[in-house]
Amino acid sequence: MAGLLEVRNLKTYFYTQDGVVKAVDDVSFNVSEGETIALVGESGCGKSVSALSVLRLIQEPPGKILAGEILFGGKDLLKLSRQEMQKVRGAEIAMIFQEPLTSLNPVLTIGRQLTETMELHLGMTEEQAKQEAIKLLESVGIPHAERRIRDYPHHFSGGMRQRVMIAMAISCAPKLIIADEPTTAVDVTVQAQLLELIRKFTAELNSSLIMITHNLGVVARYARRVYVMYAGKIVEHGTALDVFHHPAHPYTAGLLASVPRLDEPKKVRLASIAGQPPDLIAPPPGCAFTPRCIFAVPECSSGVYELVEISPGHFTTCWRAREGKIAWKTD
Amino acid sequence: MEATATQISARPHHTLWGDAYIRLRRNRLAIAGAVIIVLIIIGAVIIPYVSPYTFDKQDITAILEGPSREHWLGTDSLGRDVFTRLLYGARTSLAVGIFTQIIILLIGIPIGAVAGSLGGKTDNLLMRFVDVMYAFPDILLIILLRAILGGSIFNIFLAIGLVSWVNVARLIRGQVLSLKQRDFVTAARAMGGSSGYRIMRHLIPNSLGPIIVLVTFSIPRAIFAEAALSYIGIGVKPPTPSWGTMIRDGYDVIFAAPHLVIFPAIAIAILMLSFTFLGDGLRDALDPRLRK
Amino acid sequence: MTKYIARRILWLLLVIFVVAFITFLLMHLVPGGPWDREKQLAPQVVENLNKKYGLDQPFLVQFGKYIWGLLHGDLGVSYIYQDRGVTSIILEGLPKTATLGLVAFLLAIFIGIPFGMAAALRQNSLVDYSSVIFSTIFASIPAFVLGILLMIVFSVFLHVLPTGGWGGISYIIMPAFALAAIPAAYISRITRASMLEVIRQDYVRTARAKGLGERIVLIRHILRNALIPVLTITGPELATLISGSFIIESIFSIPGIGRLFVQGVFQRDYGLIMGSILFYAFAIAIVNLVVDILYAAVDPRIRYD
Repeated sequence: MAGLLEVRNLKTYFYTQDGVVKAVDDVSFNVSEGETIALVGESGCGKSVSALSVLRLIQEPPGKILAGEILFGGKDLLKLSRQEMQKVRGAEIAMIFQEPLTSLNPVLTIGRQLTETMELHLGMTEEQAKQEAIKLLESVGIPHAERRIRDYPHHFSGGMRQRVMIAMAISCAPKLIIADEPTTAVDVTVQAQLLELIRKFTAELNSSLIMITHNLGVVARYARRVYVMYAGKIVEHGTALDVFHHPAHPYTAGLLASVPRLDEPKKVRLASIAGQPPDLIAPPPGCAFTPRCIFAVPECSSGVYELVEISPGHFTTCWRAREGKIAWKTD
Repeated sequence: MEATATQISARPHHTLWGDAYIRLRRNRLAIAGAVIIVLIIIGAVIIPYVSPYTFDKQDITAILEGPSREHWLGTDSLGRDVFTRLLYGARTSLAVGIFTQIIILLIGIPIGAVAGSLGGKTDNLLMRFVDVMYAFPDILLIILLRAILGGSIFNIFLAIGLVSWVNVARLIRGQVLSLKQRDFVTAARAMGGSSGYRIMRHLIPNSLGPIIVLVTFSIPRAIFAEAALSYIGIGVKPPTPSWGTMIRDGYDVIFAAPHLVIFPAIAIAILMLSFTFLGDGLRDALDPRLRK
Repeated sequence: MTKYIARRILWLLLVIFVVAFITFLLMHLVPGGPWDREKQLAPQVVENLNKKYGLDQPFLVQFGKYIWGLLHGDLGVSYIYQDRGVTSIILEGLPKTATLGLVAFLLAIFIGIPFGMAAALRQNSLVDYSSVIFSTIFASIPAFVLGILLMIVFSVFLHVLPTGGWGGISYIIMPAFALAAIPAAYISRITRASMLEVIRQDYVRTARAKGLGERIVLIRHILRNALIPVLTITGPELATLISGSFIIESIFSIPGIGRLFVQGVFQRDYGLIMGSILFYAFAIAIVNLVVDILYAAVDPRIRYD
């Protein structure tokens, strides 16, 4: 299955005063053409850094992409020159960031921030790009686009700013869109609208989408396949159906259990995963989830854990799950 | 119970001042500045007892000489010993530095306190006045005041002080305002006059740190102002030595005896730099946000 | 935007008015009056002079007349040069002072900003450390001390530059550098600090994610934002520059307004002193106004005030 994007054994570390932070530690994932996948996990698990690594947006001190291959349409992005990479960014792979307030330049009109990409990648003239920008704004649901083109980011609400970011991302019809927690900083009421917007465009453009989120509800609705990350590694992946109905890793099960459900009585306490997120400078030995895992046994603290197939297309690193030694409530 | 007690005492307990002192000690530039200032002060104080020359002893047989064993930094056009005059000039500069601060504090603290505590229209008026003063270049106003007040060295202190109190007033006003907010709740429960007393009680300890920093930065500006005034000719009256006057006198013979201009100029630079470094160090040391 | 400008202009007029009033008031508090010279003048002569210059009229009348004159560009009379008005005296010195100020300002910007930028872009390098050291040192050495030291080195010791006068580049170099040092130091510091902050911002990352080249990211995204705080301090720095220029003109014998001012102070020519101070206040106020307007032009967030 030829993937559009194939990330193999990616390692991105950050060299800080307190030590080496292994933010992404041997991670592999892939996306096919037109497919939507999700990267899930709690804050700090490495999902954002993985995405930024794909676009090579890692700050070079203190970060560094040490190892791995990122194959996009056959080429290894890590081997491209700076100019070549700049041609990929925005044009073939586009990113939607989490914080629309700080991710937009406060002293440039949003029209300018839209047109600069199109002028660069699509060779449009100023006038053409301006017309196109107006159309884009309209299509993401911003009324009076002709006037709004000349407005500045601080004239827009959070939700509208995120629409602008979506417009920026799709402006050059990229083959792959990476959405890094696009709805976290936005009102709940607007979240659904934004997600629908993203889904609509990925379908129209037949783009692939990597959705990065810690919100499992979002994953269930939009993603075909899911990668669950913990402590810089992928601990489980498979189709959304498989992962949700038959989670094969205690962490995934924990995440699922902590999602509030409409069909449970309100009084039920939200289950949360006990313990603290792992220290990425000195992660626990063996399986990093061990200190917080209710199914852990002493053996879990040693050994190296690889992803192994537990059922067709469904992989997990948890050996206990594989050996069927764990049962948890699924439905 | 004992275990916890020992744990508490094992962790060193620093007051703001102790903590600041430790941090200051680590700042080498600030220490260098402080040392230089102390050395200059010592030199200025002991010079009358130590030097074989006075600042106005003329010696026509030794005019415009360069540095030598008899005259460490040479002589000027009247045969006076430069080294001695330099250190006497230091007395003038240091006196200006210190006394202007007293005037600044005497004017600035009350005005700031009044503005802060009275609030309302008085505050507004005072602050507008402060803004206008701020918009004006201080050195020019100092010159104007000096030209008007004329006369003694005390009037120099006055001229400089009358122009430079603005920052102190602003600081005190800010402190009073924030204290007023804190005391607002208690003041509502307290009886009439005691809230004012309480504000005063807290005002001094809270403002002491920032005032010290402000004063340390304000001293070099006062020293500069005096030197500038003397250079133009409206500063201290001869024969009182001042670095500014020495530069002015030396200017006429600058080609023949550049040392007459170099030494006072460098002295001004060094003294100002020392206070600036010390001020930087104090500001960092007293910054409550950097406390461990 | 126009409201913003209008308010700033009104503020300027108010400041000038207050300064004029204070200066005028102070002038009239001078003991002895403007005719105090070494030679005592006969009382009849003093009385005639006072009448001629309108000094015998009540204070507010005099002040009113003065303000009226100001509005017409008349800065009053010089009590020493009795045949010339202060305005014409100042206009004579204006070109030199303005040139000096302009050159110094340009130096400050074209040294300060690049240094600050280079320091920020190459953190912890030699450029960074030396930029911090130089800006700390030069921020604390007053212009007139620096000017004197420069003169000693280049005129007295090396004989490559003249000690004073006016007439060409060699006469401007030292005074301009001496004046520019402190502003350059502050500008460099702020540029560096500001750039370091802007570089870390999310929108810079967004710009790169869109595939924009480093040069465009630097100029359109980083600098546009980073230079805003620099613009903010430009006003006060220019004010310092303008007000410090008179000492430099004195040292380097530049026939500008500053030197006239100094002579006026020395000779107790109160008319000239007042006129000069008002001129300086006006120049500073105009400069601040221009900076404020530029600031609003560059930063859209503060425009609708």
